[in-house]
Amino acid sequence: MHVWEVFRQEQEGEPMIHVGSVVAPDRERALEYARDIYSRRYEAYRLWLVPREEVVEVTDLDFLQPPVDRTYRMGIAYRVTVEKRRQIKEMFENLAKEVYGES
Amino acid sequence: MTYEERVEAFKKRIKEGHKVEATDWMPDEYRARLIKFIEMHANSELMGALPERDWILRAPSLHRKLAVTAKIQDEVGHAQLLYRLVEDLGKPREKIFDDLVNGRTKFHNVFHYPTYSWGDVGIIAWLVDGAAVISQGALQRSSYAPYGRTMRRICWEEAFHLKHGEDIVLTAMMGTEKQKRLMQEALERWWEPLMMFHGPPTPPEKDKDLEWGIKTKPNEQLRQEYLSTYVRKIQEIGLKIPDPKLKYDSDKGRWTYTEPDWDKLYAIVTGNGPASKERLSFRRLSLEETAWVRRAILGERAQAA
Repeated sequence: MHVWEVFRQEQEGEPMIHVGSVVAPDRERALEYARDIYSRRYEAYRLWLVPREEVVEVTDLDFLQPPVDRTYRMGIAYRVTVEKRRQIKEMFENLAKEVYGES
Repeated sequence: MTYEERVEAFKKRIKEGHKVEATDWMPDEYRARLIKFIEMHANSELMGALPERDWILRAPSLHRKLAVTAKIQDEVGHAQLLYRLVEDLGKPREKIFDDLVNGRTKFHNVFHYPTYSWGDVGIIAWLVDGAAVISQGALQRSSYAPYGRTMRRICWEEAFHLKHGEDIVLTAMMGTEKQKRLMQEALERWWEPLMMFHGPPTPPEKDKDLEWGIKTKPNEQLRQEYLSTYVRKIQEIGLKIPDPKLKYDSDKGRWTYTEPDWDKLYAIVTGNGPASKERLSFRRLSLEETAWVRRAILGERAQAA
């Protein structure tokens, strides 16, 4: 008997999500069990079955999230643009005052 | 790090709300408690299919027959999901079934009782499954993540069981006096087992499953939630709950009720309920009768290899 990890796509275009596993002696039986257990109510648009021994697992956080600042990759790090726009606007206003005088 | 230090670090992580996966390191006691707890749950799903099975051929309409059959298939499907978790934790399925049919492991109290009428089918699907959804809802936040995920799926499916059960009861309550009596009598049979369902009011600090985060809510809290959810719904359709002491104490903010006989609960779940022996011998018989299927499947694999 082998363990097969089951992934399900609930609707066309959506990601394949891990939903559990089945134990079966072969691929055909594994497919039948997975259908019976993970799609009794129109829940699956597509199923993937992967033999458990073929799944490569990584949980080492030093490998996955090394302690290096990577915030420069994220949009959230650039919120300063709002303040910078305000400053530029002020700069132009001051420039206009210098050229045309107070009005 | 010594073993004890690892265990302490593990407990601390759980208390902080971290989740454990099947492939993570876990203390032996945590693994043993998970196996015992989830195995009992799985056994209950499997044994829970039996009382309702008797009613497939006696369902009053084709729709009811299809729905009862679907519910039973769901229960066995839930047992499959939960047995997979127990197998992954290290207990082989053959051993699980051997322990079950020989009375070495338990299943829920409510599945140790016989059914007498279609009223029981409605009350079980509505109120027994309702009680199960209250505890399974809390288990969605279990420290053991594969269990929590399985609970989310099971609760989603149980929604149909509840609604179908409620529909059976409501339909009868809109019917003849005889039909209403059928439901009232069933409620009277099931009320005591329902009040026992969430277990004795063990103080939370003494409940080891709570300490490990396997469970997330104390038994008594689950029972209080159950009463708050269902008492009004039961009473407003004209059913009478057979407990004169049952009332909501608004000063204390909790329900008071006749204390169930907890020794009786213990006797029932250890195989001395009114239908325990019959149910287990039926399960033993099915296990024997289906042995050839398992042999055939494994045999085919041997030939192909």
